[in-house]
Amino acid sequence: MIGVFDNEFDLVKAFEKVKARGVKIDEVYTPYPIHEILEGMGKKTRISHAAFFYGLFGALLVLGGMYYAAVVSWPLNFGGKPFNTFPSFIVVTIVATILIVTLATLFTFSARAKVFPGKQARIVHPAATNDKFVMVLLTDGSAEEAAALERILQENGASEIIKQNEPHG
Amino acid sequence: MYKTSIRGKLIEGDKSLAQISTDILAPIDAKTPKWWYVAMTVSLAMFGWGLYCKYITLSQGIGTWGVNNTVGWGWAIINFVWWIGIGHAGTAFSIFLLILRQKWRTAINRAAEAMTVVAVACAGLFPLLHMGRPWLFFFVFPYPNTRGPLWVNFNSPLFWDFVAISAYLLISASFWYFGMVPDFATIRDTTKSKIKKAVYGFFAFGWVGSSKEWLRFEALSFVLGGIAAVLVVSVHSIVSTDFAVSVEPGWHTTIFPPYFVVGAIFSGFAMVLTLVTLMRKLYKMNDFITDSHVDAVCRILIFISLIMGTAYLTEIFIAWYSGSEYEMFTFFHNRITGEYAFQFWAMFTCNALVPQLFWFKSVRSRLWVVFIISILINIGMWYERFNIVITSLTKNYLPASWAGYSPSIIEIGFFIGTLGMFSAGVLLFFRYIPMIAVSEVKSIAKFNEEIQPNEDH
Repeated sequence: MIGVFDNEFDLVKAFEKVKARGVKIDEVYTPYPIHEILEGMGKKTRISHAAFFYGLFGALLVLGGMYYAAVVSWPLNFGGKPFNTFPSFIVVTIVATILIVTLATLFTFSARAKVFPGKQARIVHPAATNDKFVMVLLTDGSAEEAAALERILQENGASEIIKQNEPHG
Repeated sequence: MYKTSIRGKLIEGDKSLAQISTDILAPIDAKTPKWWYVAMTVSLAMFGWGLYCKYITLSQGIGTWGVNNTVGWGWAIINFVWWIGIGHAGTAFSIFLLILRQKWRTAINRAAEAMTVVAVACAGLFPLLHMGRPWLFFFVFPYPNTRGPLWVNFNSPLFWDFVAISAYLLISASFWYFGMVPDFATIRDTTKSKIKKAVYGFFAFGWVGSSKEWLRFEALSFVLGGIAAVLVVSVHSIVSTDFAVSVEPGWHTTIFPPYFVVGAIFSGFAMVLTLVTLMRKLYKMNDFITDSHVDAVCRILIFISLIMGTAYLTEIFIAWYSGSEYEMFTFFHNRITGEYAFQFWAMFTCNALVPQLFWFKSVRSRLWVVFIISILINIGMWYERFNIVITSLTKNYLPASWAGYSPSIIEIGFFIGTLGMFSAGVLLFFRYIPMIAVSEVKSIAKFNEEIQPNEDH
């Protein structure tokens, strides 16, 4: 069952009522992020953890690479200064690490959120990227359950209710 | 906290969410206006002349420029630093103001980011061609090679600069692109044209706006915003070390990194102001880029202008206070007075004095005055780079090696070519890309009391 709302306030109210009833919410489609929904859906993302590790390994990689080039591969004596000129490696390490983190995080985002070039959009409601807030519910199939949910959606201001047998129909 | 009662509404005109999409996306669906073709033709002509000058540079060498042994850095480096400075607005707007939770940024950040990408691409051309043999460009990459192996010099600010600029270009381009994905999906789902549906559908990467996507999108913006904030200060700090690390009078000072960063943000914001006034005039985006948006940018410019003035005076003071005769000569006889006095005073007037007019509300509220001042600031910032590069190089320690410098027609053409490239890029952006971040503007619509529905609705 799909409930379509005109604004985020109605959607959030209905979302909380439906959730309180213990109905499984398959997915919510909105034109912009709504924090109540993102939290309420109970999904967690580990993108920021991943980014931290990309940064850690990126920094080691860059610093290690420069150390290898300047000390191991081709040590060059200029002015009797040490081969490992650590302070002047810092700038490149910071900037290159930021680049590595950015690109790696983008790829992670692309892979995890499944947003990538050439992907066909599975559009549930064509206005969900424009001005409608769409909530897809999985019902247990019984008529009473469906009727009760329909009532909740209606009471909370759903502008349209679509019933389908298959999710993402 | 943004108070509409004090600062004015973020979006004028009591728009519904659908209306926001329609209004912002209107230029993409509408017929291309005549002025667009005229402007594009002029831009392409300028770009074409630039291409010809690049061809001459490539086929005949740097000798076609006005640079010489003493003044090795001429217009090319001035223009490089100028463009990079303008390219600072993207990170400054999207990331600094994101971290500072400034909601008004949503109407402007997309244009600032677009501008950044084009400006940085323009900037990159200058050092590339200044190399003399740009086909050996790949020598600056540190990669295992058969030339020794000959590695790059990791101690050189020029190498840092190469890393900083290429990283900045890649990062700002990807930040810009991923911010547009939800908007491309909106175009895909609202347009009636089949071609547009297919093209924007491809660029939308299958975005549908599910909570799963938004959750990760938010996390991504958070990570990129946090980490790329460093770039706001790092890029131009590194550009400044190109100068500050060398032992030239007028360059070898510790004020350079902050001075360059502030200058960059100054010119970037001024260019943003130029663009948004154009967007308001040409595309009637007044409801999204309200008077209060223009007002906010003007206020920031007053503040930055004061810092610029302080920096100029500090440089002059330190030149005197240091007691170094070379510094004294550079600042007092080759900048404030002397052959290049006009350029110095043009810089000082445009950057430190003219923006002070923004103290007056009557100036801030007149769009054409704001437009002219924003252009003057960018002219002033160009003169600033001229001052730094040319005055220090023409007359340094040894009078026997002093030399004059004037740009050749090829150098001038190269610069005009990048102006054409920039305006062509901006015109393409106006025409084919949502120039305001639609989904971000929608998310702030609820802060306008007018759109917020009653609780018992």
